[in-house]
Amino acid sequence: MDMRKKADHLLWLCTVALAAWVLPGAGHFLISERKRAVLIFLTITLTFAAGLWVGSIGVIDSVAGWAWYIAQIMVSPAAGIIDHITRSQKIVSFARPNDIGQIYTSVAGLLNLLCVINAVYLAYTGRGEQIGQEEKNV
Amino acid sequence: MSDLLLTLASFTKPLEIGTTPASMLWMFPLLASIAIIYKTTKLRVLRWKIFFLETILLFAFLSGFMILAAAVLNLLVWMITS
Repeated sequence: MDMRKKADHLLWLCTVALAAWVLPGAGHFLISERKRAVLIFLTITLTFAAGLWVGSIGVIDSVAGWAWYIAQIMVSPAAGIIDHITRSQKIVSFARPNDIGQIYTSVAGLLNLLCVINAVYLAYTGRGEQIGQEEKNV
Repeated sequence: MSDLLLTLASFTKPLEIGTTPASMLWMFPLLASIAIIYKTTKLRVLRWKIFFLETILLFAFLSGFMILAAAVLNLLVWMITS
């Protein structure tokens, strides 16, 4: 019985982590942290979109900018799709807009990694529902 | 429909930003994002008033630190090159 509970808990943690990676904020949404979920979604999505707007989608390139790509893919699997479009359409980015775009998209990815870890930690300790309930009572 | 296509097309061409001191202003929206996400994950209970206040304070602190770092580095370069 305990083994089953442990397995269920592990599956729950994996679900929270995967949801948080696929859609920024979704991990917090699953653990009843609705306000945090909305803030995370808006902030990370806008930061990532701003990076793409400044430097074009050419800033995501898993071959020429593979080191940046490691951070960028942490925003969402959508970064992988954008990388595929960039390379198939041969879209390039250069100079200062490329620098700014890469920094924005990579920082968005690293911030989402922080949120994924936070969501999994809250789900692991069970604090998510507890805090969510406290916030409802405020 | 054409507006949507134009918007999407703007994501395939980089903006024109020169290597000027003004381009450093692009760091401020990023600092705001970092401050918002940090406080979103750190505050135990999210009360809007406290959240906004702490986020603004952190943003001001980060901005101040970055401006100070830029000033010190500029001073260092000026001392080396003059």
